[in-house]
Amino acid sequence: MDLNLEGKAAVVTGGRRGIGAAIALALAREGCDVAIADQRLDSEAEEVVRAIEETGRRAHAVEVDVRSLPSAEASVAEVIGAFGRLDILVCNAGINRDAVIWKMSETQWDDVIAVNLKGYFNFNRAAARIFKDQRSGKIVNIASINGLRGKHGQTNYSASKGGEIGLSKALARELGKFNVNVNVVAPGMVMTEMARALAPEFQEQAVDESVLGRLASPEECANVVVFLCSDRARHVTGEVIKVDGGQYI
Amino acid sequence: MRVGIIGIGHGVFGRRSDATVQELAFEAFRAAIQDAGLQPGDVDASVIGAVPEYHKQRSLAGVVQEYLGLLPRPTWLTEAACASGSAAIRSGWLAIRAGVHDVVAVIGCQKMTELDTSEILALMGRVGEVQWESGFGTTFPAYYAMLARRHMHEFGTTKDQLAAVAVKNHHYGARNPYALFRKEITVEKARQSDPVATPFHVYDCCANADGAACVILASEERARELSASPVWLSGMGCATASMSVLRRASLVGLPSAVTAASEAYDMAGVDAADIKVAEVHDCFTIAEILAYEDLGFCPRGEGGPFVAEGRTYIGGDLPVNVDGGLKAKGHPIGATGVSMTYEIVKQLRGAAEDRQVPGADVGLTHNVGGIGQYCFVQILTRD
Amino acid sequence: MFKWFGLVNFVPYTKVDGFAEHLRDGRIMGSRCRGCGAVTFPPRSDCSACLDGNFEFIEYSGRSTLQTYTRIEAAPTGFENHAPYIVGVVDLEEGGRALAWFGDTVREEDIEIDMDLQLVPRMSEEEEAIRVYYSLERPGTQWVKTLGSA
Repeated sequence: MDLNLEGKAAVVTGGRRGIGAAIALALAREGCDVAIADQRLDSEAEEVVRAIEETGRRAHAVEVDVRSLPSAEASVAEVIGAFGRLDILVCNAGINRDAVIWKMSETQWDDVIAVNLKGYFNFNRAAARIFKDQRSGKIVNIASINGLRGKHGQTNYSASKGGEIGLSKALARELGKFNVNVNVVAPGMVMTEMARALAPEFQEQAVDESVLGRLASPEECANVVVFLCSDRARHVTGEVIKVDGGQYI
Repeated sequence: MRVGIIGIGHGVFGRRSDATVQELAFEAFRAAIQDAGLQPGDVDASVIGAVPEYHKQRSLAGVVQEYLGLLPRPTWLTEAACASGSAAIRSGWLAIRAGVHDVVAVIGCQKMTELDTSEILALMGRVGEVQWESGFGTTFPAYYAMLARRHMHEFGTTKDQLAAVAVKNHHYGARNPYALFRKEITVEKARQSDPVATPFHVYDCCANADGAACVILASEERARELSASPVWLSGMGCATASMSVLRRASLVGLPSAVTAASEAYDMAGVDAADIKVAEVHDCFTIAEILAYEDLGFCPRGEGGPFVAEGRTYIGGDLPVNVDGGLKAKGHPIGATGVSMTYEIVKQLRGAAEDRQVPGADVGLTHNVGGIGQYCFVQILTRD
Repeated sequence: MFKWFGLVNFVPYTKVDGFAEHLRDGRIMGSRCRGCGAVTFPPRSDCSACLDGNFEFIEYSGRSTLQTYTRIEAAPTGFENHAPYIVGVVDLEEGGRALAWFGDTVREEDIEIDMDLQLVPRMSEEEEAIRVYYSLERPGTQWVKTLGSA
């Protein structure tokens, strides 16, 4: 399927590793210039930049504190300065700080909301202004099936992921008339560093839940993101697509 | 064969919450029938001039004429926006000229206060072309304001000259017991009133009102039998122009008025210089100025000085709207054309008392519908 | 979807309803009669010259000159929150006339009859529903054209 992504410019937050890195690379393979925005531009970030450049596309890395609106706006402006345009925003940067609520500190709550929910607001707002005026754009916000369902120990994470979904749906209504699509990809458990950091029984629980008997790879999530960023999905907006192997049906 | 006016009647214009539209019509009809010395049974047909969308009562003509006691005679509604009254007179004139009826009562009647403010404001926005213009929030005053702006640009007409029209008409309205506004005003008062649509202020715009007027028309033969001094409809002109400013070749002047006047002058065998007294359609101050020019009372572009120099007062070159005009009487839409005719008949009979134009023997009415979509010009004479 | 046209719409159905979709895409369209070639703005489906009912849309540049204008202070129902606003009537370069609001690129004190203006397609931004119209702007004002849903 020709996705017609040749020559587009994208920014992926949290793009230095995990699902974000996979998304960045997948977009580059389809012909996009890709910028990764992350809190730390380390060797992992450099590797992603190199991998993008190896596809023949332009890459850019920008340091950002997603919790800050001015920082998000500045990073978007920097990407446009580098590529001359912006067509795609993928918000992916996220953290979790699990605890049962009666043991959860205010900081654990605030940090997750600040990075996951406020961070998505900051980047969606920055991109919305540009996409509205140019009458085109694609936004994909990476949430989680734990935003559709509740997860034990994740009152903060589930709240933030559910909030990302609500934000995305409302934004789809606001931007629709300007020819901008806003969608959510909600992965189940994905084989990333975040997953590997969990105790083995959590991975096993996820495999048991998945009717396909497996966890997702970052690339499998990226495939759906890339489709939603393409012209082929131009009539899909305000949608939440799970990539969870049937963990939550 | 000429058609004569043998009876006239007029009611008080204003906020008539004391009466229904048929009750208002009856006031005018009663006065006209008595003025003519007739009985209702002498009336062969009636024509009602009114703009129906302002009334709660549907099918107005039949309702009014039944109340007047004229069943089972023929009746129908004639509507041409603000020229409905003159359109109704034309209908009656045509019927008599065709030889179908001998005596026709024409009643112009209107209530505008049955609607609430927001309904009236909504209607006000739909005068222009609803498909292409009303979506931008245009209003009736806005259209004439744009004509005024153009006139000011082309000829140097001033706001003081516009205000002079209002001052004159309020001067005469103060002397007309049927008028809505009975107080004189000054140019300062006019210019200090709230802005409506630049360059217009409140005093540049006529007011909605309720009211009715009636004239009884008769064939020449019956007129001579029934009346000692019939007034003749000697010239009847009628023309239309684009309802939209988007399709007017010129934005100064109303082409429908120029054409209608020409037709009326030809039919009556007179020209502008012969007119001794006139009623023109001053829905907005600029409209009176344009009327002077369209009717040939003065050259194009000189209407402003014409009024500001007092030339349209009694004693001036050509008295215009000496009953207060729409400006001071108010504008019950369907009644206005008949009210104008009432005034000219009074003048030609020498019965206008302290507003009499001396020696008035040839008069003119100029009644416009919409932004000049319709214009009816009548020339009235006496023997 | 002619119901999209105007800040308040009174005419949802018309034979020239494609006008509103084109305006949404950033194109101002007049009509050309397929029978006799007469060009009209605003567009109309029925040709009063040759009675033909077949027309095609043709794109207008939007370049125009001001014929007259007024600032409306007393607004009709539905426009109360917008007042005061300035409407102008312009002659379009390719023929015909338009009535439109003045936009932000023209200051009231600079408005003069006979000035050149650019008619620019506009979409109201802060409501969810689609409302399209056009505004009178400084000559040279740019805007985005989109491909449309076809």
